[in-house]
Amino acid sequence: MLLDAEQTGSAAGLHPNWKADDHLIAVLARNAHEHPDEVALRERDQGIWQEYTWADYLDVVLAFAAGLEAEGVSPGDIMMVIGDNRPNLYFAMLGAIVLRAIPSPAYPDTPPGEIADQLAREDIELAMGEDQEQVDKLLLAREKHPALRLIVYDDPRGLTTSPPPGTAAFEDIAAAGRERLEKEPTLRDALLARPNVHDVAILLHSSGTTATPKGVPLKHGHLLAGVRNAAAAGYFRQGEVHMAYLPTAWVGDFAFSVVAGLELRFIVNIPESQETALHDLREIAPTLYFSSPRAWSSMLTRVQVGIAESTPFKRWLYQVFMPFAVELERARLKGQKPGVMARLRRGLGEFLIYRPIRDQLGLSRVERPYTAGEAIGEDVFLFFRALGLDLRQFYGQTETCALAVAQSREDISLTSVGRPFPGIEVKIDDKGEILIRADNVFDGYFRDEAATAEALRDGWLHTGDAGQFEEDGALVVLGRVSEIVHTADGRRYIPTYIENRLKFSQFIKDACVIGAARPFISAIVCIDFEAVGQWAQENGISYTSYADLSQKPRVYDLIQGVAQDVNGKMPEGLHVARFVNLHKEFDPDDGEVTRTRKLRRELIDERYADIITAIYDGRDEVDYEAHITYETGQTGVIARRLAIRTTEGGG
Amino acid sequence: MFYRLAGVHHTRYQSARRLWPVPADRWQVLFLLALAVVAPFFLSNLYLGSYLLPWLIWSAAALSLTLLMGTAGQLHFGFAAVMAIGAYSSIHLVRFGVPFEIALVGAGVTAAVIGSLFGMAALRVKGLYLVMATLAMQYLVDWVIINVPAISGGAQATLRTPTVSFLLVPVDSLVSRYYLALIWVVLVTLFFLNVKRTSFGRALVAIRDKDFAAAVIGVDPFRTKLVAFFTSSFMGGVSGAILAFAYYRAVTPEQFSFNVSIQLVAMVLVGGLGSAVGGFLGAGFVLLIPIFLTNLVAWLAGAGWIAISANLIAHVPLMIYGALIIGFLLFEPLGLAKIYDNIRKYFLVWPFRHSRS
Repeated sequence: MLLDAEQTGSAAGLHPNWKADDHLIAVLARNAHEHPDEVALRERDQGIWQEYTWADYLDVVLAFAAGLEAEGVSPGDIMMVIGDNRPNLYFAMLGAIVLRAIPSPAYPDTPPGEIADQLAREDIELAMGEDQEQVDKLLLAREKHPALRLIVYDDPRGLTTSPPPGTAAFEDIAAAGRERLEKEPTLRDALLARPNVHDVAILLHSSGTTATPKGVPLKHGHLLAGVRNAAAAGYFRQGEVHMAYLPTAWVGDFAFSVVAGLELRFIVNIPESQETALHDLREIAPTLYFSSPRAWSSMLTRVQVGIAESTPFKRWLYQVFMPFAVELERARLKGQKPGVMARLRRGLGEFLIYRPIRDQLGLSRVERPYTAGEAIGEDVFLFFRALGLDLRQFYGQTETCALAVAQSREDISLTSVGRPFPGIEVKIDDKGEILIRADNVFDGYFRDEAATAEALRDGWLHTGDAGQFEEDGALVVLGRVSEIVHTADGRRYIPTYIENRLKFSQFIKDACVIGAARPFISAIVCIDFEAVGQWAQENGISYTSYADLSQKPRVYDLIQGVAQDVNGKMPEGLHVARFVNLHKEFDPDDGEVTRTRKLRRELIDERYADIITAIYDGRDEVDYEAHITYETGQTGVIARRLAIRTTEGGG
Repeated sequence: MFYRLAGVHHTRYQSARRLWPVPADRWQVLFLLALAVVAPFFLSNLYLGSYLLPWLIWSAAALSLTLLMGTAGQLHFGFAAVMAIGAYSSIHLVRFGVPFEIALVGAGVTAAVIGSLFGMAALRVKGLYLVMATLAMQYLVDWVIINVPAISGGAQATLRTPTVSFLLVPVDSLVSRYYLALIWVVLVTLFFLNVKRTSFGRALVAIRDKDFAAAVIGVDPFRTKLVAFFTSSFMGGVSGAILAFAYYRAVTPEQFSFNVSIQLVAMVLVGGLGSAVGGFLGAGFVLLIPIFLTNLVAWLAGAGWIAISANLIAHVPLMIYGALIIGFLLFEPLGLAKIYDNIRKYFLVWPFRHSRS
């Protein structure tokens, strides 16, 4: 404990303005004390929403903490948490936080091998899995990492009759904890007094596009400062209705569903499963909604497919009002005010089209819809704004608790991400890198001095993102500093910039732009199976599989059209000259993309070297065998002859 | 377009299974009910007494029959006889000095007992054979009423209904008779909608779909069919009594003859089997469309738009009416209720398309 006190002392030096007892558990206790009967959490279970009040919330958290302590958990221990969003997973994380242990969430689709790596890297002895599937993976990982001594599970289905050794049900631990709390009347207050604002509250992971993920420990103070800065900017309101459907391992979910949920007393709603998330979204109709550009885009695709299949009259109405609203929104972003007739027409459309669509999507009550993570397509952005949603972009990293810069209602723009929240300083250094300094910037990577020294210099976080300020003070994010690439003749470009513009088309799911030290720029394209499949049906093209569809000459024509459109908007010399449709999607299980779907370029360069060589040799087709990994961990091979296309006017 | 489903969520199964879980449906029902309640204040006596009042009572009768035919799948072609039993029993009970409220129940019970007696045939026979059995009931009951003077007061007699009071309010004026009918149809509708949500209602549907399969899963066909006949005949009997007291104010055997039974079956079929909305729409269609068509043709002929002889004027509306029934059933064999359902779904999924089923 002496060591511990010393650590806290030095940490307190880092943040002298933090108050020691201003931590997440204190906030939770305050809510349970002041608003014991207000609904804090809802979970859809067997079709109806089970509600937890703030008093229930605190009781379960403390019971689990008391039970966990009896299992021998001490401060500083790390607990892996893996599974979909479930109340008990959030309770378990907070229970660990009560004991000053550190939850370390992992994405629910992480394979056993990667789990074992994370267990070993972080010396984890304790894990919380959602259900039998996660427990099975943890048991597999335990063979490689025997130090894992306790696996707690939430859903006992399939585990009750013969629980494997070293596992325990969440309910049993909480029941034991409740018993302890009854026997020791002072324990409750003692537990509440334990955490400290300088404790690490959670260990998250930066997505690690280049190497193994880096651990990002965030302290109570960081998280609360992030949420408070955002709330001060009007980014969150008190008592928002929020959907917790994004992976718990992503910083945004912890910041929104737990920290902001506690601090601003959100009603957090948890869908029944990932598959029913969209349906459950409509039942809840949240007031705050965050989604990735990819998810917004697939929502747009859903609307477009639905309209294409609708009755002629409804389709006609949509065509009368929707493109009109998009044009109106485009003009509004340029600063033009709509005339009286346009406003009347918009009002009619609001009744006939916009509001019904918002209602169908479950977004009718959303006042604060957000997107972040990557650039959002112009079509998508304008569509949802035209629909009457005040869609805004924000910018942040795991290292800044996801909250740093956001658009306000006044400075909506497609290119910029807005202004820093109050309390956050942002500047651009001479290399063009974005630097951030604030109370919600973390104190260093987990057991990685070198990376910490690189990222944190003089209190400024070096984000690794290239950016610039616009004249009105809004920040524009250009891409990763490390991603700036030169072609053989020295043209400078950022691959993601071109890729994102390709991906703005609904037909392209992923794209990887190649051109470093090459004579021209080319692309490996993964078509969007749903959108292209729909397009193929409408155009009478028969296909059997993804691989088959991707190689249809008319699909190549379609993609070529998209590429030429993009080329038209790019400066001379940065045109995609040739492309190939890949016969499989990029998949995190195969390693081409991370679990947050960011490209791993080195791996792609290496794996698809044959295809890339063929592109630059000027061949028109190439035989290629792709190795794929199934979810079970088995591997297979898809062999195909892939065509290579040259765009007109490219090069 | 009008339906808003976002934000409708349930924390208990009770609320998820309640009637009209969609707010827009609830508002429509409340709006129609409010309209029905204030109707006497803005409708003329002609419209109230000759259109709205009989429509409500026949809707109640159609709902009683559709419980048996639509929900339980037992064909009944003698339902007018059931109503006749109710009408005559209530009049005789009231004349005997029994309070009207109890006389109504008595009318229901008498109709139910006799109705289920004939319903026992359903335990042995199905389909067309059951139609024959219920037809027999129609003719038997007609014969008994006409030929037993104690019931009908004589073959050509008309029994006037005595003046009664319901819950201390005299049922005399048109408005009070209208409200009596309204209360009854609301009660029948609520019962009909709720019965579908009970185990009894599900047993009825199981019997309808396949009675021996229902027996295999533990539904007693004997009991269920009998209770179905009993319940439906009870409601039919009370509807008959209400019809006698609130609308006709006098009864003769012809008011409950065989073609009235056929009209009732037509209401149920045109409206849509087993649907509450169908009961109202079917009764309205069968009752009001002929009147409307007669008026329309007479007006057109009077205004000189169409040139037809005076003879034909009486028949053209019937021809159009027949064509309309065939047309509607060809267009949507599941009746007006299904047409309503399609329209509702058209707006429910707006601006997308609902999958037709």
